[in-house]
Amino acid sequence: MYICKYSKKWVCLLVLTLVFMTRDFSLLWAGERETLRIVGSTTVLPIASRAAEQFKALKGGTFRITVNAGGSGVGVNSVAGRRADIGMISRELSDGERRRFRDSHLTLHQVARDGVVCAVSSEVYEGGVRALTKQQISDIYRGRLTNWQEVGGPDRRIVVVDKERHRGTRHVFMKYILGNATARAPAARLVTGSNNEEQAKIAQSDGAIGMLSVAWLNEDVKGTGIREGDRVIEPTREHIVSGDFPMARSLVFLTAGEPKGLAREFIAFVLGPKGRRIIENSGYTPMPATTTAQVTTP
Amino acid sequence: MAALSVVCAGTIFLYLLRESAPVFFAEGSGFLTRSDWWVGESYGAGSMIFGSFMVTGIALIIILPFALGGAVFTSEFLSPRWRLVIKSVMELLAGVPGIVYGLLGMSMLAVWVKSGFGLIDGNTIFTAGLLLGIMILPTIITLSEDALRSVPGEYRETALALGLTRIEMVWSTVIPQAVPGIIGAIFLGMGRAMGETIAVMLVIGGLDKIPAPWFDVFQAGQSIPSKLGREAAEAIGSGLHWNALMGLGLTLFLVVMTLSMAGNMFLKRVRM
Repeated sequence: MYICKYSKKWVCLLVLTLVFMTRDFSLLWAGERETLRIVGSTTVLPIASRAAEQFKALKGGTFRITVNAGGSGVGVNSVAGRRADIGMISRELSDGERRRFRDSHLTLHQVARDGVVCAVSSEVYEGGVRALTKQQISDIYRGRLTNWQEVGGPDRRIVVVDKERHRGTRHVFMKYILGNATARAPAARLVTGSNNEEQAKIAQSDGAIGMLSVAWLNEDVKGTGIREGDRVIEPTREHIVSGDFPMARSLVFLTAGEPKGLAREFIAFVLGPKGRRIIENSGYTPMPATTTAQVTTP
Repeated sequence: MAALSVVCAGTIFLYLLRESAPVFFAEGSGFLTRSDWWVGESYGAGSMIFGSFMVTGIALIIILPFALGGAVFTSEFLSPRWRLVIKSVMELLAGVPGIVYGLLGMSMLAVWVKSGFGLIDGNTIFTAGLLLGIMILPTIITLSEDALRSVPGEYRETALALGLTRIEMVWSTVIPQAVPGIIGAIFLGMGRAMGETIAVMLVIGGLDKIPAPWFDVFQAGQSIPSKLGREAAEAIGSGLHWNALMGLGLTLFLVVMTLSMAGNMFLKRVRM
């Protein structure tokens, strides 16, 4: 009697388990949606997130698109590590990255043009500093010039704002100013990360200099022109497109190999007419209409 | 359950050890002592370790008088109703996420420090220390107050019966008895301060350097969690950079583990 009672319980349990295992639970998984993961540069992020909204509204369907920041370096690393489908970068791949991720067959898709500006606090701009030479900016970042007065501005210490080493904006800026994309800046007073943070810190200060994408300038953060000899090259759209402005760069979507499915459709959308309008409204310059520019890394 | 926690901690430790081994081979003990950190060239964690200890030290120096004073006052001189209110508020504040403190620190504290001390910029080691102090204040007050309350009533009554004034009684009888618990509270507060990431990251300035006179706290610096927060996503998976970040993680893990264990040891002697 004793044994019967317990074995009845176990038999019931066994039967229930067998029944459970025969059920079709694929309906539960049908709720799991396909996700397009986009990660990387904060410069490209406004384009990607606005395009994602419109793309989803246009296509309908149950898929999801996630757009995360982190910086160009994180974009490259995530795509190579298959943690993202599309990486956003605002600079060229470094030699180290090309070497490390050779097997990922990283493919670049140019989506827009942008310029990196030497940005200053509005008080400095109003105080007379409208343009700087490459040498002056280099001296400031190396610590040889320490007061705004020395470059025609108000009598105030220069607050040198640097960026995290892997950021696209920094690569482009340092390549031009100090000759090396990963050069050190000995006179840096503080280090920021995203375009957002840089913009906030320059705006908060009344004597800061930093590096920022053209599209992120506002009333508190002004862009200086580059003085070369007699002329001053302002960071305008024409100069960026024509190549006159020395710190122009491409904004790029990165994929591992050829993009397929949702990723391919999304990139095509961004390169299409609706995407180009988003890019313009975000303050960047779209690629010429005939572009299907694609460069594969060796 | 206890075995599970030990297994978890052990697994984390072994993982960190394994992942950080290459950088210790490459840099030797220089990893901990040198302060030059430039990805691709050298990995010296000295500035981060210095920054972490400096920021925690400043937090404690600034906040301990307030925390202990507050705890003594709450435990010995407040009516039970008000004591309950204060304790509830403190426990609530102890749960506020770091990011909230970080945003407030960035938008208000850094500005006040800049104008208050006449600096060119408010993102400094001092600002981070002050912010951390405010963050750990509720934790230290609550735990110290527990320690003080757990001193048996007889001590108080005997002291008063012997003719000591209220304040003398608290100072010479209650506080000495509660010292182990208070020390435990301080250690636990330190543990939290050392591990705080986002709040420190937003106000410390992110500069991987030990300040020029080392005690100049009004310059920017870097702490271990702040560095990890800024660079981890870029280096995930492999490479010496990743190993170096894991090395930082290992260092922090060991320090916080030690502080937490010491803190708990002291607190055990005062459990209510």
